[in-house]
Amino acid sequence: MLKLLKEIFRTGEATVKYPFAPLEVSKDFRGKPEHEAEKCIACAACTIACPPNAIQMETDIEAGTRTWSINYGRCVFCGRCEESCPTGAIYLTPDFELAVGSKADLMRRAVFTLAQCEVCGKPFAPAKEIAYAGALLAQASEAEELTDRQRTLLATCPECKRRADLQKLADMAIARQMETRK
Amino acid sequence: MDILSQDRVGASILSALRGVLPHAILQEEWQTPRQVTITVKPSALQDVVKTLYYEHYGWVSVVVGNDERSLTGVFAVYYVLSMEGPEKCHIVVRVEVPADTQEFPSVTPVVPACVWGEREVRDMFGLKPVGLPDERRLVLPDDWPDDLHPLRKDSMDYRMRPAPVADNETYPFINEAKGETTIVPVGPLHITSDEPGHFRLFVDGEDIIDADYRMFYVHRGMEKVAESRMGYNEVTFLADRVCGICGYAHSVAYTTSIENALGINVPARAQAIRSILLETERMHSHLLNLGLVCHYVGFDTGFQQFFRVREKAMTLAELLTGSRKTYAMNLIGGVRRDILGEQAAETRRVSAELRVDTQRLVDILLETANVGGRVNGVGLLDKQIARDYSPVGPLVRGSGHARDTRADHAFAGYGLVKNTIRSHDGCDVLARTLVRAEEVFDSLDLIDALLDTAPGGAILTEDFEYLPHKFALGFTEAPRGEDIHWSMTGDNQKLYRWRCRASTYNNWPVLRYMLRGNTVSDAPVIVGSLDPCYSCTDRVTFVDVRKQKSVTVPIEEVERYGRERKNSPLK
Repeated sequence: MLKLLKEIFRTGEATVKYPFAPLEVSKDFRGKPEHEAEKCIACAACTIACPPNAIQMETDIEAGTRTWSINYGRCVFCGRCEESCPTGAIYLTPDFELAVGSKADLMRRAVFTLAQCEVCGKPFAPAKEIAYAGALLAQASEAEELTDRQRTLLATCPECKRRADLQKLADMAIARQMETRK
Repeated sequence: MDILSQDRVGASILSALRGVLPHAILQEEWQTPRQVTITVKPSALQDVVKTLYYEHYGWVSVVVGNDERSLTGVFAVYYVLSMEGPEKCHIVVRVEVPADTQEFPSVTPVVPACVWGEREVRDMFGLKPVGLPDERRLVLPDDWPDDLHPLRKDSMDYRMRPAPVADNETYPFINEAKGETTIVPVGPLHITSDEPGHFRLFVDGEDIIDADYRMFYVHRGMEKVAESRMGYNEVTFLADRVCGICGYAHSVAYTTSIENALGINVPARAQAIRSILLETERMHSHLLNLGLVCHYVGFDTGFQQFFRVREKAMTLAELLTGSRKTYAMNLIGGVRRDILGEQAAETRRVSAELRVDTQRLVDILLETANVGGRVNGVGLLDKQIARDYSPVGPLVRGSGHARDTRADHAFAGYGLVKNTIRSHDGCDVLARTLVRAEEVFDSLDLIDALLDTAPGGAILTEDFEYLPHKFALGFTEAPRGEDIHWSMTGDNQKLYRWRCRASTYNNWPVLRYMLRGNTVSDAPVIVGSLDPCYSCTDRVTFVDVRKQKSVTVPIEEVERYGRERKNSPLK
């Protein structure tokens, strides 16, 4: 009993002032993910990495937009989005006070414009993602600018690219036949 | 994977088995040097499991059902045995269950430890263990349709909830008392709580004659969601959430199972980090339970003190992983964060502090006069009953069986350091409490030793490929005992089958024997000594066998009576 009393006196006050004073968390605490729409290219890597499907993307072809969204109510703060992001647009912060008055406030959205295919005119990929791919290509080829062919390829949707390839193959076959006949 | 025959541990057990049961084994397949799956004839199943269990120091870890109709045309049931004799290994006994009859012989009559596993296979796959003495549902609720078996590949979408087929609970509780008893129902159905269970105590006056209970009121269907929706690495984070106290142990067990199945060589540093974190988790969990023991016997000051000290373990986890709970540190192939010099130094400092603090509190706990009388000789788990039902963790170690996965099947970084197995022969609440108290200090020793011996180098490997339909076991020693996972990879970047067994699953079946012969006021401390996630069991029904009356009492009232032992709620 005496030991217990001693322990109580030794301990003193164990309670902290939170929430009336801020609570300090450790340096690498995994808290609320922050998304910077300016850096984001809407590539969807984070939506695939996210275990609880808190981050999702929806494409609206009619409007020509892709909407990125995060639901903080589903987030498990694992940080897989931060690991998978190629541009550093999403990262975890030490913020842990996420309570809101209404459920809708747990959602954050960012809307991105889709680029239209040069050939068919249909929207097919986020304009920023295409620009990013273009910059990567330019860097890889150590050229100042992209060649016209590269630029056309970038601005064409996969379906039109396939069609163009088929057309080219067919043309080649005809050319080869013409040659053998000669 | 080809395991060289000279590396195989456990081969002599198999040859001894072949000696007594010459034609029982149809097929033998080694997953790792210490893990083998043998397919046996259904007619020999009982004899094989019984021989391995009682003659070769086997313990049943888990029973796994699998719908393999799309792979082999049949269902299969796997009996996972942890062999803890001279040759320590895992032997998995596989029996094929024909898709037309869907029947296989029950092993429970000869090895009682299989009872929950076989009941679950019956619920989830609709396979019939012929001769199973207890044919009640285990997992599925009473209002679930008879012919819908959720884990069959062709049964249902993971989001579906079938229309209820019954309005009332029909579950029969079993009372083996000879004379008359009163029924005391405890719990549950507090739907906001995460883990309710319903206890029914059969009492004669104040004495518990028998007890029965039912869990799985809020079954989360994690295995189904992992198999249907998530990729391999995503399941790692789901496994973190199997338990709110010891989730990291599940995460390690799951990643280990995949790493074993694919033969991935995980960097030694990653394995050491996993062990350090597992010990951090064990520390906070054991300190929590020591606090709860104080609380249940009415020593609330002790409870407050243990929780104050436990907070240091929580802060340590936050420092090392970025979160107090749900560490999210694992990926298949290693870990995501290194322990840097600064963090290692801080860990050593906190560990030294915890050693002193905990020693003081344990001394106080053991010297407090009224604690001894409440835990000494209370909640006896007979050594033989423990042997028959394969319980795990401090519960089995408190009944004289020295079994600890860290030492028996060294996983993660435990091969790098010396492991001590704690065991006591008291068989009572005191013995289990002492095991936990000693293990807190072992954890501190292990953390220091691992920080010293952990080699440098990479913490994650990506040098592997996913191959379809490979399977293996993964296991850890969680604070409550062995966690075991059985995973089979699929051909669509998803698990074909994930069986995740938490430690308390193996401990519930023996609880009824621990409650018998004690008084009602001891019930909370006995259930608490299992260290289950018990907080949500919020009401109890008591049935007086002699007076033929039944009272339902809120759990706060039972706990209060447990602490004060005055004003019995039964009068």
